[in-house]
Amino acid sequence: MGVSAPLLSAAGVIAAVVAMMVDGRRAVAIAVAFLAAGLAPTAATFGGAPGAAVLGACGIAALVLAWAGWLGGRVLPWLSGLDPTIPAFAPAARLFGPRSARAFGAAVAVPIASWVSFNVPVGQVTAVEGLLFPIAYAWTCGVIRLLVARTLEDLAVGVAMVGIATGTAWLLRSGGDSFPGAVIACAVAPVAAFLAGWLHGRSSRKAHPFVEAQA
Amino acid sequence: MSPAVIAAAWLGLGLVASAVLRRRTARLVAVVPMVGAGLTLLAARSATTAVPLGGLSGISGLDRAGQGLLVAAGISMALVILLQPSIDVSIGRTIGVVGAAATIAMASSDPLITALALTAAIATMVLRWIGQSPGRATLAAGRVAGTGTAALVAASPFLPLTGFTTGDRPAVVAALLATGVAALLAIYPLGGWAAGIIGSLKPMEVAPWLVLLVPVVLLIAERVPGGVLGDGSPIFEHVLLVVGLGSAVWSGIWAARGPAPMRYGRVFMADVALCIAAVEGAVASPALTGALIIVVTHLCIAPILLRSEGAGLLWPRRVAWALLSGVPPSPTFWGRLLLLEALAAGNVGSTIAAVLAMALIFIASVMACSGRAAVIDGEGWRGRLPELAAWLLLAVGIAIGLAPQSLTRFVFGS
Repeated sequence: MGVSAPLLSAAGVIAAVVAMMVDGRRAVAIAVAFLAAGLAPTAATFGGAPGAAVLGACGIAALVLAWAGWLGGRVLPWLSGLDPTIPAFAPAARLFGPRSARAFGAAVAVPIASWVSFNVPVGQVTAVEGLLFPIAYAWTCGVIRLLVARTLEDLAVGVAMVGIATGTAWLLRSGGDSFPGAVIACAVAPVAAFLAGWLHGRSSRKAHPFVEAQA
Repeated sequence: MSPAVIAAAWLGLGLVASAVLRRRTARLVAVVPMVGAGLTLLAARSATTAVPLGGLSGISGLDRAGQGLLVAAGISMALVILLQPSIDVSIGRTIGVVGAAATIAMASSDPLITALALTAAIATMVLRWIGQSPGRATLAAGRVAGTGTAALVAASPFLPLTGFTTGDRPAVVAALLATGVAALLAIYPLGGWAAGIIGSLKPMEVAPWLVLLVPVVLLIAERVPGGVLGDGSPIFEHVLLVVGLGSAVWSGIWAARGPAPMRYGRVFMADVALCIAAVEGAVASPALTGALIIVVTHLCIAPILLRSEGAGLLWPRRVAWALLSGVPPSPTFWGRLLLLEALAAGNVGSTIAAVLAMALIFIASVMACSGRAAVIDGEGWRGRLPELAAWLLLAVGIAIGLAPQSLTRFVFGS
């Protein structure tokens, strides 16, 4: 049975839109989990079971490491740190907020990803045209999320999206180096989730009077 | 010595230094780059892959130019730390990660590993910058530099372009590579994000980017061979030429008319922009030699000029600015002359833009030399040590000006 490119694309697009719009303390883990699930069918098409396993492991590792980072940040007796969900600056009141900008960016990413998927072949051995759409869409959304970022959490989500999208693109190369390349690129997402969790843990811990006095 | 061991030493020492050292012993953070530079001296290029990574070409080792650059950058970073009036020990963590990432990026022959190493360096610095001074400027560093590393990461699955040297694929790859290099060197948008962090953070916070990362990215960008990019080669070269020259002129203008504390940062950005424009935009060979001379000069005088103006070293600062002015026999004269020679081989427009940028840098240097700052010089031999170190650095700078090609050959091997 042949692969349904529209179905693969739809799964990737839905996952990327969720990753684009998600906010809050668990945003990185949620974004990684959705993207891994959405891009897994594409990965399985080209990388087989190992390809899907890479993305599955990436999603699980992101969830576990985000929790481990949060726990580590709470337990270790260091100074309380920056809250990654608080915007780095307060912009003037505007009609459209950050989510509107991201929604607009997600819409703009559609024609960009479409052009890339039909014009840019990827692959060392065979050219794969037209099937790059969900990957290009996820990557473009990740970059747009980076560009309109207001918090450290936004930056972490953007980096994670770029990592997963690039990892899946490596699976499409179908060369001898595609699998290790995919693993290394996808590893960015769990690391971003760990860092975000760590910062949350540090910022959510109640300030210890002795530690604050030392500061 | 494997690059992985050198990177591990940078990382381990950086983490230990930031955890163990206290305010009184803060200057010992300088051990991190010194040990990193020392170990890099022992590195050798091996025919086999130093760190195998499955089917990836992995980390093959440092070549002579990369080795020389990392040693010079490590020593410069150590001197920046030693000459600062005060040190926050937690910077050791950032220095360790950036040094390790720079080593891996330089030693790797795989575009994915290089891009991810640069991502790690930028992420660490941005995390620190936003933590130190949350604001629009530091967030912009995360946005723009983060996008640059994302572009480099995205280009990796499309490389190499064997069999695809025509069509849209080389054009997309060239655009991604040019975006990545321009964003990391802060020549896009016209030095914007770097100017912001130089204005809002202490010089010590900017030093890891300025001393450790920029020279490495410059050398990596030079190694992107035009022939490999095929049809995308003109895009890569022309984008960096135009953006580089535009950024050089813009930084030159702001170096001349901007606030004095930001002057060195602006001159540095103008020089880096000129280097990348000439190295990528001009096919003539003198450009690389000129860029290397300018890089070594900045590594030599950055420890002096990254010290705040009110913290002493009045005369060493003036001599350092003279070395940056471009008046012979300063090393920057030879460096910029070679860049100009390379650009003049291209077209008259780029030559005029480069001359304008160089004239603005000269004006900024003269203004900095003639400025009078109320400074308090240290008393006793302890207070004189920074001055002695500064004069020794300037002596090296003067030596580079007297024998530029010999000294760059000594550092870079070519």
